[in-house]
Amino acid sequence: MTPNGLVLEECDLAEKPLPLFDEHGRCIPSKPTAAVHSNTRRYFAIVQPEIEYGDIYKRIKKHLGVSGDITASEFERRAEVILQKLQNDPRTKKITDGVRIPFILPKATYADYGDALERIYLKAVRDSFNNKFPQYDFVNHHKDGLAGKLSIAPESRHARLVEAMQKDQAVGYFFPCLTEYSVPAAIEQAEALPDQFLLAGGFDTCAAMIATPDLLLRTDGYPPLLWLGALQGEKEQVGYHFEAYGYNLTFNRKPHFNQVAEYWCAGLVVLG
Amino acid sequence: MMISTSEATQNKLTPAEQARREGLMARKPYIAAKLAAISAMEERGEISPIIRLEKSYLCNFQCTHCSAEYYMDRHKKKVFKIADARRKIDLSDIRELSRQADELGLARFVITGGEPLVMKDFDEVVEAIDPEKHYVIADTNGWFLDDKRARHLKSIGVEKVQLSLDSFIEQDHDSFRNKPGSYKRVMRAIDASLDAGLNLLLSTVLVKGRAKTEEFLNLCKFATEKCVGLYVSYAKPTGSCSDHPEFVIDKEDADILRELEKDYNVFTHMTPTYGSFKGCITVKGIITVTSTFEVTPCPYIDFSLGNLRETSLKEVLARGMRNPWLGPYRPDCLIGEDQKFIKIHMEKTKGVTHLPVPWGQGFSDADSLFD
Repeated sequence: MTPNGLVLEECDLAEKPLPLFDEHGRCIPSKPTAAVHSNTRRYFAIVQPEIEYGDIYKRIKKHLGVSGDITASEFERRAEVILQKLQNDPRTKKITDGVRIPFILPKATYADYGDALERIYLKAVRDSFNNKFPQYDFVNHHKDGLAGKLSIAPESRHARLVEAMQKDQAVGYFFPCLTEYSVPAAIEQAEALPDQFLLAGGFDTCAAMIATPDLLLRTDGYPPLLWLGALQGEKEQVGYHFEAYGYNLTFNRKPHFNQVAEYWCAGLVVLG
Repeated sequence: MMISTSEATQNKLTPAEQARREGLMARKPYIAAKLAAISAMEERGEISPIIRLEKSYLCNFQCTHCSAEYYMDRHKKKVFKIADARRKIDLSDIRELSRQADELGLARFVITGGEPLVMKDFDEVVEAIDPEKHYVIADTNGWFLDDKRARHLKSIGVEKVQLSLDSFIEQDHDSFRNKPGSYKRVMRAIDASLDAGLNLLLSTVLVKGRAKTEEFLNLCKFATEKCVGLYVSYAKPTGSCSDHPEFVIDKEDADILRELEKDYNVFTHMTPTYGSFKGCITVKGIITVTSTFEVTPCPYIDFSLGNLRETSLKEVLARGMRNPWLGPYRPDCLIGEDQKFIKIHMEKTKGVTHLPVPWGQGFSDADSLFD
């Protein structure tokens, strides 16, 4: 110990890595140039759904048709390793205090992202939602088709998820923690995070919705709108998203004009 | 123009709405073209709010939930013992408002109040708005709307009537409206409006718990069978309703209503219609111009975005859209559901003699969602 204990303490603090997520698991904005709220009153919030790996495995297998060697216990083991690694790093530990959804994606190669999203993944979201909530509706308001309309934002790292799916089934965790970020700010933020974080796009967000069809269903308050942040639409400043409407779930497109809203949220994904 | 059924949310026009639009295109192509352009404007990030015009607050009713009561001379005299000496709008102001609105591509005016059908210059107001340039709607309690008056409204260019019906039970409606006989007058006005070829909308106030009642369900059925839209406004803690915080709905009420939209011709200002998903429509879908030429972002928020004698309509709308409470998309009703905003609004309007609270004192460019 030096004669000046205070200086030592300050040095220790200076060397301590700063957490990247707050006590609710929200990703702390690292001053992106695009619009973001530095504070949040958490008015629009997702409530952590119950995570039962066996049920999630069955749901995804049933509605998305994941086949191959992965078993429910292997899925759980790989997913838990993801959480463990995040918890072991003081910078990333707090993301696991927020909302988190484990998922599996099938081994697959698609010629067109939008076509696959519409034909396979949105249909599976609908079936999973209808299966759990037969009294409510999943509505795809976008009637003009997605084929040929979607591309991956280059800086989002989402292409790595697509590459992983081409090689094998992918296991991951979805964290809707980019609350109150504009879409471009979410992309910037993902790029600034440690290498394991990918910005969520269509396949992974759908997998999380299939895993937990009640993710955006709240009776006591409003959940946020969930952007497929890593996907670029057919026009600049247009994005696609999931949104609750009362007890119902909807899919739609919307111009976002690079603005920020208290109601907007995008997800991060970590693969394992 | 909002007819909201499950078909409407699916972007498909109902046959009745299709016929209405075709009829308007034939009679008033300029207005029809402006209305048809709204979705393209929204895609570009432009807005096309309905303008509610409150030229006069005279009213023959004194309703329990009236949002305009605190603007009325009778309230100022009774509670504050004052007269309102502020300059009021006249017909030339309305012509100028109409011109500016048209330049911005805006297409719809609602003449409200007060009760518009007690205004001696109602016809002149319609003329000043210009019913060949704007779709004109009258928001009325129906007391004076008989066959003759309905035909007259149609003849001077009014396209649509919005009639208030606050309960399908006669005694309850009359009691809520503090006006015996008013239910029967509304029923008469419904038939008179339809017979005169006016488009018709029923409007009703949803107080806490009402969405679950048989009475409300019967009202939904009635409107649907009549092929008339039922516009539901949440009770807000403003105006006369400030004394009734128990009226303010909760999420369950709002969600029950969203379920009813699937089966009945019922909707709120936040219901998606024909491909438009605005959520809370403050500024984006509606503004109110008060009798003193102040602009407020919705009928229930008593904070001004500016006075049109000092600031252009274009700039007033821009102020609204850059305000963090009003501009960003949100799915809930700001003044009906957001408790933090409700608290701010109650604190800043408490005891104010001359509403709305001026720009800079209620809303300002320094506003933040956070303390």
